[in-house]
Amino acid sequence: MRFHIILCAFVLSLATVGEAQALDSSRFLAKTATMQPSNSLYQTVSSDALQTDAEKFIDQMANEAIGFLSNGSLNNTQKKARFKKLLKSKYDMATIGRFALGRYWRTASAGEKKEYQALFEKMIVEVYSRRFGEYEGQVLEVRSSRKDSERDVTVQSFIVPDSGPEIQVDWRVRKKDGRYRVIDVVVEGVSMALTQRSEFASVIQRGGGQVSVLLEHLNGN
Amino acid sequence: MLKSYKKFGLLAAMLVLVGGCASTQDEVYYNTQAIDDPFESVNRAVFDFNEAVDGAIIHPALKGYRAVVPKPARTGLDNFLNNLQSPIYFANEILQGDFDDAGTVFVRASANTFTGFGGLLDVAAYEGITHESEDFGQTLATWGVGHGPYVVVPLIGPSSTRDYIGFMVDGFADPLRWYLFNIDEDHIYYTRTGLDYLNLRNNLMDLLEELQKSSIDYYAATRSIYVQRRDAMVNDEDPDANMGPAIPDYDDF
Repeated sequence: MRFHIILCAFVLSLATVGEAQALDSSRFLAKTATMQPSNSLYQTVSSDALQTDAEKFIDQMANEAIGFLSNGSLNNTQKKARFKKLLKSKYDMATIGRFALGRYWRTASAGEKKEYQALFEKMIVEVYSRRFGEYEGQVLEVRSSRKDSERDVTVQSFIVPDSGPEIQVDWRVRKKDGRYRVIDVVVEGVSMALTQRSEFASVIQRGGGQVSVLLEHLNGN
Repeated sequence: MLKSYKKFGLLAAMLVLVGGCASTQDEVYYNTQAIDDPFESVNRAVFDFNEAVDGAIIHPALKGYRAVVPKPARTGLDNFLNNLQSPIYFANEILQGDFDDAGTVFVRASANTFTGFGGLLDVAAYEGITHESEDFGQTLATWGVGHGPYVVVPLIGPSSTRDYIGFMVDGFADPLRWYLFNIDEDHIYYTRTGLDYLNLRNNLMDLLEELQKSSIDYYAATRSIYVQRRDAMVNDEDPDANMGPAIPDYDDF
C-alpha cells in the first residue's frame, strides 16, 4: 500500500500542512537533499551572476513571506494584502496564467482573457491565504541552482521544519526587463503551473471547449 | 539506470506493449510524457465512489484515530511499517541496477531494526540517510515501460496500468508475506496490510482535503499530480530530469 503514497505534498512552499510532515516526505525526497550526483547541472556555489541573483531573489522573497506569515500582530486580511503585493511584484502572473490556459488562450476573446487573468490571480490569493494559519515556523533554505537558459534559472530550495522531513521546492525564475520573477513552483517534482493547466483544460474540455465555462467556475469559487 | 534493459523478460516486454501508446493530448501533457485516460468516464465514477467512501467512512475514522493515537505513536507506526517494506525496496533497487541505493536500504533497515526499536524510530534519517520509496512500478519505468492507461482503483485511488501491475507484483513477491503464510500466521499479514492502509490514508488526508477544497476539477488535478509525482520518483537519481514544463516567453497577451 505504501507505494500508493503517491500524491505529493501539494503545498504552498511556506505553509505546510501539520500532518503532512508526519507523512515523512523524506521518502519522497529526491536524493538531491543529501547526495548530489557529481554530474548534476545544479551548482551549489554559483559563479554565474544570473544564478546568484536568482538565488538571492528567492531568498529575499522567502524572508518577506516568512516575515508577514510569522508576524502575530497582523490579522488574516492584512496578511492577505501582503501576500497579494508579493504575488504582484515577485511572480509573473501574466505568464503563469497564460500558460495555465494552454491552447485555449487563443480561442478566448479579449474580454475573456482579461477576466480570466483577474480571476486566476484572485483564485491563487484565495487558495493560499486560507492556509496562512498553518504556518509553523518552517524556514526555506536555498541550496543550489541550475541555469536553464540565458534568462531562466531553477533555484532549488528545501522547506526545513522543526521536526520531520524536508520538502523540496524548486523555483523557476525568469529574468525579464532586468527583473527577476517566479514563473513556476515545483514541489517535490510537481509543477503548480502544469497542474493548474491540466485542471483548467479538463474543465474547458468537459464544458464543450468553451473558456466561458472555466470563467463561470472561477467566479463561483 | 537500466534504460537499455528493455527486453528484460517476458513481463517487461508485455508491458512495453501495454504502455507504448503516447498521447499528445494537451490537457495531460507533461514534459515529453503523457498519460492516456481512455477510461475516463469509468475512472471518474470510481473516483466519485472513493470520494464518497472517504467522506462517509475513512476520513471520519481517521479523525477518530488521530484523536485517540498521539502523533509520536502515529509517526512510530509509519516508521515501523515503512521498515517492513525494506525487502521490497531492496529488491527493486537491485532490479533497477542501483546498487548504491540498495546498500542504503540495507543500512537503513539494519540501523532502524537494531537500534531503532525494531523500526519504530527512523534513526538512519537522523544521520542523514533518508528514505526513498521504490516499487516495481518504478522498476518497470526504469526498464523503459510507459504508464499505459490511467486507472483509478476502488478504495486505493490514482494509479496507472504499469504502476498497478507493479503494486500487485510487489505485494505478491513480498518475502514477509511468504514467510507469514508459510508459518500459518496469515492474520499477521492481513493486519499489516490493514495498518498500511490506515497509515497511508492518514498521511494523505490533509493533502487530499486541501486539494479537494482548492480545485475546480479535483479528478483532473489528482491525475496530473499523480503522473508528475510518479515521474519524479522514477527520476530520483537524476534531479536534472525534473525540469518542469517548458514555459514560453509569451508575447500574445
